[in-house]
Amino acid sequence: MTEWGRCLRACLGTLGISAALLLAFLLAVDPYDSGKFGILGIVGVDDRNTVTASASRARDPNFDSAIFGNSTALLLNPIPLSQATGLRFVQLSVVGSSPTEQLAVLDFFLRYHAHVGALVIGADPGWCVHGPGEPPRPFPYWLYDTSTLGYAGRLMSGAAIEHALQRVSIGLGLRPRKDPTGTFNPEDVWPVGQFFAKNGPADPLPASDAAGRDVFPEVEKLDRVIKSLPADVPIVLLVPPTFAPTVPQPGTLQAEEREACNRALQKLVAGRPHSNFVNYRVDNALTHDRANWLDFIHYRPLIASKISEGIAASIRLGGAAKIDF
Amino acid sequence: MLFNDYPFLLGFLPAALVIYRLADPYPQARIPLLVLLSLVFYGIGNPPFILLLVASIAVNWLAAQAYRRFKIPVIITAAIVLNLALLGVFKYSNFVLSNVGWLTGAPMPHVDLGLPVGISFFTFHHIMYLVDLKRGKAPFYALDRYALYISFFPQLLAGPLVRWSEVMEQFGQKVYSPGWQRSFAVAICFITIGLVEKIFLADRIAHNIDNVYAQAFYGPVTNGDAWSALAFSFQILFDFSGYTDIAIGLGLLFGVKLPFNFNAPFRSVSIQDFWQRWHMTLMTFLRDYVYFPLINARILPRRFLPWQMHAATMITMMLCGLWHGASWTFVLWGMLHGAALVVCAVWRRYGPRLPSIVGWALTVIFVLATGVIFRAGSLQSAWNIFQGLAYLPSLERGKHLLSLLIVPAFAFALPASQDIIAFLTQRPRPWLFVLAGFALLVILLDLGERNVVGFGYFNF
Repeated sequence: MTEWGRCLRACLGTLGISAALLLAFLLAVDPYDSGKFGILGIVGVDDRNTVTASASRARDPNFDSAIFGNSTALLLNPIPLSQATGLRFVQLSVVGSSPTEQLAVLDFFLRYHAHVGALVIGADPGWCVHGPGEPPRPFPYWLYDTSTLGYAGRLMSGAAIEHALQRVSIGLGLRPRKDPTGTFNPEDVWPVGQFFAKNGPADPLPASDAAGRDVFPEVEKLDRVIKSLPADVPIVLLVPPTFAPTVPQPGTLQAEEREACNRALQKLVAGRPHSNFVNYRVDNALTHDRANWLDFIHYRPLIASKISEGIAASIRLGGAAKIDF
Repeated sequence: MLFNDYPFLLGFLPAALVIYRLADPYPQARIPLLVLLSLVFYGIGNPPFILLLVASIAVNWLAAQAYRRFKIPVIITAAIVLNLALLGVFKYSNFVLSNVGWLTGAPMPHVDLGLPVGISFFTFHHIMYLVDLKRGKAPFYALDRYALYISFFPQLLAGPLVRWSEVMEQFGQKVYSPGWQRSFAVAICFITIGLVEKIFLADRIAHNIDNVYAQAFYGPVTNGDAWSALAFSFQILFDFSGYTDIAIGLGLLFGVKLPFNFNAPFRSVSIQDFWQRWHMTLMTFLRDYVYFPLINARILPRRFLPWQMHAATMITMMLCGLWHGASWTFVLWGMLHGAALVVCAVWRRYGPRLPSIVGWALTVIFVLATGVIFRAGSLQSAWNIFQGLAYLPSLERGKHLLSLLIVPAFAFALPASQDIIAFLTQRPRPWLFVLAGFALLVILLDLGERNVVGFGYFNF
């Protein structure tokens, strides 16, 4: 072999061997605790990012029930909900997620739980789009889908190495795992008394004609998932509240659109035992009080606890539940 | 398909290398196979336009054959006009329509044809060959060799612009002949350095300045960030220089030496010097096929030849601007550079000699300022950036701004990548290639984040 041949071999050998060793390490650790790989028996993650952290929590056998949605459902505390219902709730809401992304997490949760205690889904305005919805954004579907090969292919990244090192630290007892329930207290970040006049509800564009008003592609996808579940699985669909001045005014096109979406969501759980649809996007004393809000769509624990009471009542009594809000 | 994404680096490229290695012992198979691989490369990324590329090759080759048979120059002229018309339809339709609408006050439709990636480059390749054929400088070639000249995948999408005479005889040569390992080692250096330029220099700058230009769309940038917008010229340098270096490396892997395109342009001491170092293959094309014909044409009396030369410079640079995009801001950018070249030429003749450091500083300031016009998309946005320069740079973003200092430092201090590679590969150094292996791993890890950003010159 020539000297230059040795150079080529040095380059390709270094690349190939180091890549293979790194991939073997990542597969052994399973950086996101996805359950697709991992032979070291490390449990949990130390990940603040709900986009990637939800996989580990979603497959945790200590839970049988889950809350799905985006940041407007993340504010619901699963611990009191578990205490009120006797079920074991985990928080699986993903900040900034679209309905399609939430369905990917829901599908992942269902694959790991043969028995489901209850499902709570926070249906923000993103569910009410009449068309294909927002253009796709980067979301790690590879983490939540069924392909192990696709997952392995995405592990060669700086982020995966960082997560793997965090998991090794957890395994060695050098750092604790994040709270497996996924509880998020907004007042850890936004102290009481602060209000930011931003983040108005992202109500979708109205339908171009009357016929299109009752067409909700995202709701139809959820319908298919719900129909695939056993009839005795309680499901609570809720529309998260928004700051009162942003609630659609009766008689407006916006209110008609909201009502149409509410009807479509209500149909999904109509007649289903221990299931309910609750629209919390109403104008009342609670939603009027600025002290209950971080911004226009993110509420503080007082409202969250009221919603949790409504969820617990719905799981007990279904559509007959009395919602105190 | 991008040179900086997994499907190319881990899929197409290794497959193409293995297939070509198998075909290399068979001389008759080499060129057709490379044509096929190139069409697959183009077709994967641009399925609707693969037929356009194939038809473009066929029509131009047939025109050359007809000229060979009938010796009627108008055939070549018609083919060139057809090429320019095709480029015009895809690239300039909306520009022309909007200007006609503006002039006449009549509403004009918006034509949504899409822009076939690489059309500017393969059109110019056709023109270079056809003009030289008409001048009696170029021979006739078989269809497969001509098709490879137009479609050779390392250069197809964004150049470098290659004269037929530079590559035609290289096509079909045996790649795996004695010494191929050195070529491949050099190729790895080019590809590695090109990827580093793109991912760790150009994209880092883009990450910092894209939002500043987005802000400028809505109004003056008064938070001190306008200064960072000046770094666009460094971004486009490392974006395009990175692309070209990867293309040169890929060419070497298939036995073809492509021309260099950049020669440390931010070390230029005048704007003339700058244009001899920046996008050199485009400037060679414009010089040979636009500028020289304009100054050689008997338009003005001999005593006015300097004026004719200055006018030719202005026209050439305005066309250069228009080539970059169908917008008056690109034309203005070209006009400013043309004017600077004229001023520079006049100064060299009549003015005092400037110290090199002054020439360098003036050149850099001019290039950075005109880069804002090039990038801003509208004169208003550019003006919003320039107004923002009245505010001191914001240091609040701290470490995020480091790239805005480090990347320009590389542009000022380092020699051209081909010179760096020539130095590094003077003799075999296995340890250096161990480092290259690690560098490639880091690059692949970075690409694994899936933040792949397309090359800027695909848009031109």
